[in-house]
Amino acid sequence: MHVYRKSASRVSGLSILARLHWRRRIAAASLALTLIPVTVAQVCPGADPAALAWLEKMSSSVHKVSYNGVVTLQRGEDMQVMQVSHAVAQGVSSEQLTQLTGQGAQIDRVAHPLACVHPGHRLLQVSEDLRAGHCGIAQYYRFSLADGERVAGRQAVRILVEPRDMYRFGYIMELDKETALLLKTQTLGRGNSVLEKFQFANLAYTGHSPEGAQVNLVHHASHPLPGAPTLAGHSAGPWTVNWVPRGFVPTDSAGSMADRRTYTDGLAVFSVFLEELTQEIRPGEGLIRSGGTTSYTRGMDLAGQPVLVTVIGEVPVNTARMVADSVARVR
Amino acid sequence: MSERMRESLSALMDDEANELELERVLTQIGDSDDLRRSWHRYNVARAAIAGHQLGHLNVDISAQVRQALVAEGAQQPAFGNGASLRQRLLRPVASLAVAASVAATVVIGGQQLAQLGGGSSPGGRAVASSASPVGMVNSFGATSVQASYGSQAVPVLQPATRTAYRELARQRMQKYMQEHAEHAALNTPQGLIPFARVPEIRE
Repeated sequence: MHVYRKSASRVSGLSILARLHWRRRIAAASLALTLIPVTVAQVCPGADPAALAWLEKMSSSVHKVSYNGVVTLQRGEDMQVMQVSHAVAQGVSSEQLTQLTGQGAQIDRVAHPLACVHPGHRLLQVSEDLRAGHCGIAQYYRFSLADGERVAGRQAVRILVEPRDMYRFGYIMELDKETALLLKTQTLGRGNSVLEKFQFANLAYTGHSPEGAQVNLVHHASHPLPGAPTLAGHSAGPWTVNWVPRGFVPTDSAGSMADRRTYTDGLAVFSVFLEELTQEIRPGEGLIRSGGTTSYTRGMDLAGQPVLVTVIGEVPVNTARMVADSVARVR
Repeated sequence: MSERMRESLSALMDDEANELELERVLTQIGDSDDLRRSWHRYNVARAAIAGHQLGHLNVDISAQVRQALVAEGAQQPAFGNGASLRQRLLRPVASLAVAASVAATVVIGGQQLAQLGGGSSPGGRAVASSASPVGMVNSFGATSVQASYGSQAVPVLQPATRTAYRELARQRMQKYMQEHAEHAALNTPQGLIPFARVPEIRE
């Protein structure tokens, strides 16, 4: 954009317009367009290799560093505070999240093998893609680097993540300049409105949380088997999702009879749930939004069977709606 | 194409066109190949600036724009006094993304499924279907919507049905959020944080 603007003022140097108008930008872009086939189109257009390298470093940092800290999650008026810890030792990682506000629940995941890489993280390992001549996630988002702010006392590098289509949100991510640990994420919706903000308030690079928080309930996070990162096989079973936005792959090898399918593009995840109803339902749709989460429920008829389809995920409404639209029965 | 027409077209792109300029473009765009090509080219250029991919732009939108404007005018004669022309032009297009985005605050009791049963209670009956706008092609933003999807008709709902559906959606979110979070926690960079989005954690 910057480059375009500069060349724009060169091209129309006599312009007396004080502001940049499309007129000028168009002139510049026409020039730029002629260059695109020779230069950018051959690699990944708009892909900043440095930003992609940071992205990859971020994804692998969780396999390398142990840390604990206090994290806040803001969604609209609501703010939750929690203690998180992450320890890496002897080929496994252990994580824990304790809510310091609200319900006071604790979630843990112990002995997660480091060799177990789930599809979402694999999608962020973009250097393999690039070597193989694919753009991977850079096809679906534009990544660029900027100077970061200080987050939790650490100097950060900022990655601006801009969606290339209307099916996903944008993000501003701040990574620890030394460890590439993700310190802060802002989820951006339409018009760059901040839908959700996650950030560390303090951070220490040791793996164990201080004790002391009262825990009302402990949930052991489940570990669904990572799916093959292809769309093959997800159409098995009595129902199928016929359309997901480009770049989304199944997260797990959900059994063919499962009432759920989940997809990720590496940054966003959405799940599709199907309920068969025992009585007819008046067709219609309902929507709940909370922070970056959309929950869209559609009542419809699938080949004579009344069903409720629910799409939940950190994606825009139009994505949820189109995914729900594409659900079909397999005969 | 005259210089004046070119200016009008540019002004339209800049959201600075006045009624006269809009009129000028719309009356001539149907007859002038040159004008249509320019409009198309400007959109391509703009898409390039905005960084969108260029593969989906082989769409002549002039007819759609005119139709949309006519429809807009017919529906809401008063609309447009305060709104900019581009807003008016974009309205039908923009609506595809926000069509379903009704705010959700009302909470009522259970029995939504029963309320939504196939019967024909006068208050809750679904009225005439209108095609979902999701299937439209978003030429302005230069991203295409696959028209073969999202084109199913979604009935326009009566208030009672709409309320029932909203409550149904709220209950489904409660029910499914944790299962969704299990997957989000393993497939996004924030680790266990997705669990913080679950309204109520169950063991």
